[in-house]
Amino acid sequence: MRVARVGPGAPLLLLALLVLPVFLDLYTAHVAVLILLFVIVAIGLSLVMGFGGQVNLAQAAFFGTGAYASAILTTAYGWNPWLAAPVAVLATCLMALVVGLPALRVQSHYLGIVSLGLAVAVANLLTNAGFTGGASGISKIPPLPFPGVDLTDDYNDYYLVLAVLVVLVALARLIAGTTLGRRLKAMRDDTVAAAASGIEIPYYRLLAFLLGGLFAGVAGVLYAHLVRYVSPDTFGLDTMFLLLAMVIIGGQDSIWGAAVGAALLIAARNLLAGLETYQQLAYGALIVATVVFAPRGLAGLAAAARRRLAWPWPSLPIPVPSRGSAVPAAPDPPTPFPTPASAVALRVEEVSKRFRGLTALSQVSLEVPVGEIHGIIGPNGSGKTTLFNVISGVDRPGGGRVRLHGRDVTGRRAYQMSRLGVARTFQNLRLFHRLTVLENVMVALDRDPARAHLRYLVAPWTVLARERRRRERALGLLAEFRLEEVADEPAASLPYGRQRQVEIARALAGRPSLLLLDEPAAGLNAAEQEELKAVVRRIREAGVTVVVIEHNMGLVMSLCERLTVLAHGRVIASGTPAEVAGDARVIEAYLGREARDREAARP
Amino acid sequence: MTWVLQTAIGGLSTGAVYALVAMGFSIVYRTMGLVNFAHADVVMIGAYVTVTFFLGARLPFGLSLLAAILVTGALGVAMERVLRPLESRDLNLMLIGTIGFGIVLESVAILIWGSFGTAVPTPIPNLPLRVGGLVVTTYQLLILAVAAVVTALLFWFLDRTKLGTAMQAVAMDRIAATAMGVDVAASNALAFAIGSGMAAVAGALVGPLLYVSPGMGASIGIKGFAAAILGGFGSIPGAIVGGLVFGLIEAFSSGPLSAYSDLITFVVFALAMSVRQTGIFGERTVDRA
Amino acid sequence: MSAAGLVVENLRVSYGQVTAVRGVSFSIPEGGSLGVIGANGAGKSSTLKALFGLVEARADAMTFQGVSLCSLPPHRIVTLGIAYVPEGRRIFPGLTVRKNLLMGAYRRSWRGLGEQVERVYELFPGLRRFDRTLAGALSGGQQQMLAIGRALMSAPRLLVLDEPSMGLAPVLIDDIAEVLRRLRREGVSMLLVEQNARLTFGLTDRCVVLENGRLVREGPSSELRDDPGVRRVYLGM
Repeated sequence: MRVARVGPGAPLLLLALLVLPVFLDLYTAHVAVLILLFVIVAIGLSLVMGFGGQVNLAQAAFFGTGAYASAILTTAYGWNPWLAAPVAVLATCLMALVVGLPALRVQSHYLGIVSLGLAVAVANLLTNAGFTGGASGISKIPPLPFPGVDLTDDYNDYYLVLAVLVVLVALARLIAGTTLGRRLKAMRDDTVAAAASGIEIPYYRLLAFLLGGLFAGVAGVLYAHLVRYVSPDTFGLDTMFLLLAMVIIGGQDSIWGAAVGAALLIAARNLLAGLETYQQLAYGALIVATVVFAPRGLAGLAAAARRRLAWPWPSLPIPVPSRGSAVPAAPDPPTPFPTPASAVALRVEEVSKRFRGLTALSQVSLEVPVGEIHGIIGPNGSGKTTLFNVISGVDRPGGGRVRLHGRDVTGRRAYQMSRLGVARTFQNLRLFHRLTVLENVMVALDRDPARAHLRYLVAPWTVLARERRRRERALGLLAEFRLEEVADEPAASLPYGRQRQVEIARALAGRPSLLLLDEPAAGLNAAEQEELKAVVRRIREAGVTVVVIEHNMGLVMSLCERLTVLAHGRVIASGTPAEVAGDARVIEAYLGREARDREAARP
Repeated sequence: MTWVLQTAIGGLSTGAVYALVAMGFSIVYRTMGLVNFAHADVVMIGAYVTVTFFLGARLPFGLSLLAAILVTGALGVAMERVLRPLESRDLNLMLIGTIGFGIVLESVAILIWGSFGTAVPTPIPNLPLRVGGLVVTTYQLLILAVAAVVTALLFWFLDRTKLGTAMQAVAMDRIAATAMGVDVAASNALAFAIGSGMAAVAGALVGPLLYVSPGMGASIGIKGFAAAILGGFGSIPGAIVGGLVFGLIEAFSSGPLSAYSDLITFVVFALAMSVRQTGIFGERTVDRA
Repeated sequence: MSAAGLVVENLRVSYGQVTAVRGVSFSIPEGGSLGVIGANGAGKSSTLKALFGLVEARADAMTFQGVSLCSLPPHRIVTLGIAYVPEGRRIFPGLTVRKNLLMGAYRRSWRGLGEQVERVYELFPGLRRFDRTLAGALSGGQQQMLAIGRALMSAPRLLVLDEPSMGLAPVLIDDIAEVLRRLRREGVSMLLVEQNARLTFGLTDRCVVLENGRLVREGPSSELRDDPGVRRVYLGM
């Protein structure tokens, strides 16, 4: 959201870049063009990998696809470069989607090796195929025709690339600072929580690759027509690793970081000619040092330095809300998701779930009326969290049905359940830890369908307007939790109790009709627990049905109206707290069977 | 038919090398969960060290290989030590860290041995033997024999020795292994050393078939890695099968297609991974999301 | 306080910002036994993990037979004669039952261990026929027996068990309790962490009750058995 705030830095930098060619000789001007092109490719990689968390080792191949596509169309088929350019960019995007397809099934190192393998395959094709000119590549690529401007001149090229770069950086920054970037980062930080916040994971994985392809494609096309010669080694593994080094050293999730990294490494490569091997040694070592000592790269170091300069003192103690007053005002009444036609908010019918032969849930049924605070208790390993996973769409049930306000929602995915009005928190706290508190809430608050991202291309200014409104609503919600002072802090930097509050605020941000709280009191002190109780009651008063898993019996007994007790994946009792506490089976489940009775009963 | 068998023989001997590379990957992965992208370059270093002793110092091939195993083993221990802080923290960062290591190793190789490759003679006279209508070369037999011995040693180590059993225990549950008295860090370092040693064997064997050059890791290493994943990451039998499959794919994509063996191999691999992401012998879940 | 046995004074355990154990002290004399009970999240498991150096912990003292546990790396604790049966069993699923047992004696020579293995099979006759079976194929109860057997392989002076009854059917809990009672009679010292309070009372001399990371009750097991405070901790009323 800092995108709206343009400091003095960007215009000054632009000014410097505008006058730079005055000081450059012909060779350095050419190097400058290459630097700008690689900045574009690196920013694309940063969007896929740093923001989207998708290990993409095919970015150099995308770059090559753009360059070769345009080169082939203009030389072999005689297309006008201006016509070939958009087609080549589209071809690159298509290639990125194809390479991204495995990301739907595999992640992390699997994705790394698959994308690397496909990159090797592309390089293999470029080196050997006839239509790519084989190892010698394609030369005599026509320059971009531009009335009155000679685009074979490196100085003019510089301004063309700079203009494109400015547009693309603006786009990247817009993405980074608004909905789309936030969703990508949320997916990167915690896939499960992102899905539970309504993010359609498969779509965004592909979108991440698409963005990488778009940037690489544009840079590739420019490269082909400005350098006017393409050969396979420009787009091979060496370039890939160089790109990786740029993004890692610059800072994975920073647009500026990627740009600085690219500028440094390309400048070094071209200006320290003859020392390539030492450069390679240096950037290899720098990659290792960066991941071990400064995982967020130069951008991370810069941010840390800025924080230290801005606040020379240890940051102010976070005001802890006094008891009772911290109760949030009633959240907005839940938007009528499915109109609560039924008085039963949640009905679980004979749900079973097995994991590798282990029965986690066996014929579990329960019913929660609208507006109830319902507790689920049971010893460790009794299947409580699995039940939540089934209800919230994280796991699919092996059998049985789940109905939400009378509607059969069995087997829906987590993002669908979120959009149907089910929100949840997690036992072990799953915040998007590198996002700020405000961003965490905004992720869940944001209910735009994925197709709304077309705005970024069609009407970017509307993105900002919507962003402002969303931000105001999120701040309003944070204020209810007295979290507004820490709105811009990274979520992971907060004390544990406050992180728990952020998670509840995030769950409420989506205006759910059903809220699932998984051990919300774990790790809270007595005062915080009281506060939690008040918060949960207010949430219920706002019309939200609450189901809570909790081990703290004092809390459960005083908060919940009815309880369901699970043991060994089965419901062993249900009823009011008093009924349940007196139930012999419950006492046995918790306290164990009386050993003496048992021995006496033996023959 | 003869053609098929003849091609298969060639494929199996290359596949044996890939299998060695893949097993080296797997042994590190199953103990530490670390995917070592630098493994490809360790193969290259192993090849170079062997060549240096074999051609430079005129040592017997076996001794040269032993020296290479020692050098790469030490290299493995050093890598484990540097990357240890990342263990069980961030898988993607660790992966990138090993890529950084690979880049360093490659540049070090260029500094020491130059950027041009070296042709290596086979350590034994490479004679064609005729069996039935088929031709097998003595060097192909040597590759298969060495690969088989190394594989047998690995199985013996993992299955029959205390350290090997402990290494497997660490792979399954490091907390429990610690409680039993296993020094997990030492066990991991050993796994790294063994994996790197196997890379050296692969590098030494493949040297006479290819050109030994700083960039050789890219093609063998990535195929070995892909083979490990195809077989089911962390599974040693999977690594063997995966390696052989890759060798065979490569051998059969010959004739007019031979230039495109990388393309064919990796497209088949990507498709296979999209269909069955746990690989042939997959024992681990991939994406917990 | 005698140097013999286990002595823990003012133990604190935190995970980042979450405090799990807030100053817990207890001791077990040589040959004695102690139960630690409390609801989920009371800090029981964290206390045990602290003993084995598996979590970051601070304590005024944490010694076994006079040797400070903090001075040893985690993998050396077992050499003092303390064996651990972790929560959720944590057997090695891809190793055979016999090898799981051998791993329990990792710090001893594996030569001539057949007798020790034999003793475990005598204790858990149900395991014997699975000698060559991969442990992952065992049922939950058999895995728990294996986890206990594995711990016994180091011939420990103190056996530390973390929720051995978790997720087991009552019949199986009886079997395991029987074996633990037998071990107690043989003089093995025991630290038993359990949610199942009655099981614990029946197996130990003394018990401590944890709530929210603090020690809220302490006394002979026979007295705590009828203490209404214990019931409150579990059922909240």
